[in-house]
Amino acid sequence: MKRNNLFLALIAVLYVIGTTAKAQLSGAGATFPLPFYNMAFQQYSKTSGEKVTYGGVGSGAGIKSLSDKVVDFGASDAFLSDKEMAAMPAPVVHIPTCSGAVVVAFNLPGVESIKLTSAVLVDIFMGKIKNWNDASLKSINPSVKFPDLAITVVYRSDGSGTTNMFTDYLTKVSKEWASKLGSGKTVNWLTGIGAKGNPGVAGTISQTKGAIGYVGSEYSFAQKIPTAYLQNKAGKFIKPTLATVSAAGKGTIPTDTRIMLTNSDATLAYPISGFTWLLIYKEQNYNNRSLAQAEATLKLIDWMLEKDAQTIASQVNYAQLPAGVVKQAKAILRTVTYNGKPILK
Amino acid sequence: MNSDKILKYILFAASLLILLISGAMILSLVQGSLPSFRQFGWKFLISDKWDPTRGREQYGALLFIAGTLFTSILALILAIPLAFSTSLFVAEYFRNTGMASVVSTLVDLLAGIPSIIYGLWGFYILRPFIVDIGLSSQGYGIFTSGLILAIMIIPYATSLSNTTIMMIPNELKEAAYSLGATRLEVIWNVILPNARSGMTASYILAFGRALGETLAVTMLIGNSNNMPTGLFSTGNTMASVIANQFGEASGLQLSSLIEIGLLLFVITTIINAIGKYIIKKFA
Amino acid sequence: MTQMNVLLENKKMNFIPYFFKGRKVKNGLFLSAVIFFSLITISMVLLIIGTMIFKGYHQINFAFFTQTPPNTFEAMMAKSSGKLIPGGIANGITGSLYMVALASVIAIPFGVLIGIYLYENRKKRYAGIIRDITDVLQGVPSIVIGLIVYLWVVVHITNGYSIFAGSVALSIMMLPLIVRSTEESLKMIPDSLKEAAIALGTPYYKVVWRVLIPTSFTGLMTGILLAISRILGETAPLMLTALGNPAINWNIVKPGAAVPLLIWQFYNDPNMVDLIWSSTLFLMGFVLILNLLAKWIAARRKF
Repeated sequence: MKRNNLFLALIAVLYVIGTTAKAQLSGAGATFPLPFYNMAFQQYSKTSGEKVTYGGVGSGAGIKSLSDKVVDFGASDAFLSDKEMAAMPAPVVHIPTCSGAVVVAFNLPGVESIKLTSAVLVDIFMGKIKNWNDASLKSINPSVKFPDLAITVVYRSDGSGTTNMFTDYLTKVSKEWASKLGSGKTVNWLTGIGAKGNPGVAGTISQTKGAIGYVGSEYSFAQKIPTAYLQNKAGKFIKPTLATVSAAGKGTIPTDTRIMLTNSDATLAYPISGFTWLLIYKEQNYNNRSLAQAEATLKLIDWMLEKDAQTIASQVNYAQLPAGVVKQAKAILRTVTYNGKPILK
Repeated sequence: MNSDKILKYILFAASLLILLISGAMILSLVQGSLPSFRQFGWKFLISDKWDPTRGREQYGALLFIAGTLFTSILALILAIPLAFSTSLFVAEYFRNTGMASVVSTLVDLLAGIPSIIYGLWGFYILRPFIVDIGLSSQGYGIFTSGLILAIMIIPYATSLSNTTIMMIPNELKEAAYSLGATRLEVIWNVILPNARSGMTASYILAFGRALGETLAVTMLIGNSNNMPTGLFSTGNTMASVIANQFGEASGLQLSSLIEIGLLLFVITTIINAIGKYIIKKFA
Repeated sequence: MTQMNVLLENKKMNFIPYFFKGRKVKNGLFLSAVIFFSLITISMVLLIIGTMIFKGYHQINFAFFTQTPPNTFEAMMAKSSGKLIPGGIANGITGSLYMVALASVIAIPFGVLIGIYLYENRKKRYAGIIRDITDVLQGVPSIVIGLIVYLWVVVHITNGYSIFAGSVALSIMMLPLIVRSTEESLKMIPDSLKEAAIALGTPYYKVVWRVLIPTSFTGLMTGILLAISRILGETAPLMLTALGNPAINWNIVKPGAAVPLLIWQFYNDPNMVDLIWSSTLFLMGFVLILNLLAKWIAARRKF
């Protein structure tokens, strides 16, 4: 009897703690911005007192969580297509928070840097160029001594926004790639091995001589992995840096910011760059959501567009949003309503 | 109603929980698989395509079924001699000594290691080793994953076996010894027949663990969508394709992944049934 | 000589007189094989645990247990200046312990009761079906269990990621192990014990509570221990149910942290990768403590 009472008391205490605690915000989605979001949200908790939890469950699962209304916001590296928007229970808006890029990493003993054109890149990942001493590589890099070494392609085994961005670029620059493999978070690779996550790919590349693969920029910048210079649309060979990644966002962006920045025509842009977005419902009164909860969500996202958060982004190797995009993002935030009335002024 | 009957009803009610859980599971899995089933029908089982390209999506489970079966069966084959020996070591030969205690604790620790760590250990230590001794050029593949799986399932195979071996009444063993039997004969004729039920149960549990293992296998199998042709070729398993692509999948791909989950459920049932049947035949 | 031949030919006669060298050789060979394979197992265990200790011990200090993880920038700064990464995994430790405790409270009573049911009703067909389903449940990938609990608990019951959902997922994973080891341990009890108790007129519930469970206690504990060890390290189901939390959280209907979730987070962060080894050491340490505790309890029972 005594034990039962104790148990019931415990449940009561847990419940009370539950209902009186301050509203926590929770979000789920892309793993790409995970280090940035974790750090930014930690900072936000310190300054505002609002607790924010973010889970890197994957863009797809994040969107599903938003669709099931079990989180305050979702996060995705790929914006929703019109069809996907229609499939959501209510209209959603996309707010970009930063950009990142996909870099091409390689392991060639003795070689520090190489240049790649889009055509050669496509042929390597399609398995047409099988050896490092291939003539096409030599012609773009006359000063590099390529060994007679087989090329091992490494790709992401898990579905990811990184793969999506990479294949989106390849689709844009090669009709053959577009028809044979297309773009997506997972594709039917013709050659190579799959490794899990950025660390898996980077680790495999560093342990396999002659390997080449694609990695998220935040990862390669932090680990200082040798990456290739890629030729962009303007014809220049560009090294991936925070500046060149940001530059890709300086072209024309649609009002709702739903655009893939790959193959940007800005002169100094790194060709495989892209935004990452936070997604929320346009009308915030759903599922008995309180105005306070909606306000808290919007305040958080607004803060992410401000200088403090954007500085954090570049500190941890994510590219800041160009000023024009910040303006557009803030405008989008101010269209989000509660019972029809905009929440933020 | 006397207390006996009440207890009997409580026990029966408890057993319903298993039905509830498995029922909920099957219901959700079937619901989720319907779009994929409507699209591909039974061909899903024998199709070796896995093409997520938008506009011509084609999914099939054959490659993953093959990968799962190869790795899990290999894991069980590798694990049984190891687990069986360790059980005998701990529960019979060196029973009640400090050494047995240490060994059994060490083995039990294996169960607590997260699978991602097994994957990483395999990636950083086992894989280069396999490359160094020349078994494979890049170290990924069925053998490496099978070996890691074997290590992972040893605690499941030993734990219950140890208990059942130790619970055999001493009188039975003493009777055999007094008739002049050697240790081996006592093990073979007294211990094994009596502990067989528990040992089999533990091997089935271990096999189940191997079938459902995701992260460790994912990191060592190479994740290439092809039919494994040899011990060292790369491939993919059902659990790891689900784990790899689930977070980012939607629509038809998600439905196909859920159908693979349902298939895994079905295949586990079939294999368990076959296993139990074989053991009954040899009883 | 002929007597020996007769004995040899009579295959039913299992115990041939001891002075035949053949049996002694077989005995010795078998023992060597057992020791050989056991050594292989032990050396693999030591290799794995050794790697973890070597890579992770220096990260373990007081802060490890009391502070939450640093952000990636702090980790980057510490790494580049050669210092230890600050912070710890306090949120993961409390979250994991909390969820494991909740899961055990759900799974242990049900698991043991179901095990007793299967033992008492061995002959019935219904029990056979339950047993088979339980074995199949063991093989369900943890991510599928996570998905199911997401659909049934996260969406419909707690309307959000929560510690409760995480505990439910973990308890489902514990069930098969506890059920089967309970049943098998009960089966090893000599019938005479149970019959003696019944002959004395003991009511059934007392037979279970006072005779069956205490006698099979070690077996029950083994199953429970194995189940707890397993769920301590599970990541996938928690990702879809508990989500994770940067802070310590006791609110059962809100997301919660767990050590394996943190390990996954560290793995994907280029600056915090080194923390995965020390986090694993914590899990190992906890499993070790549980093991030693179980052995101590078993020793004190004097059975």
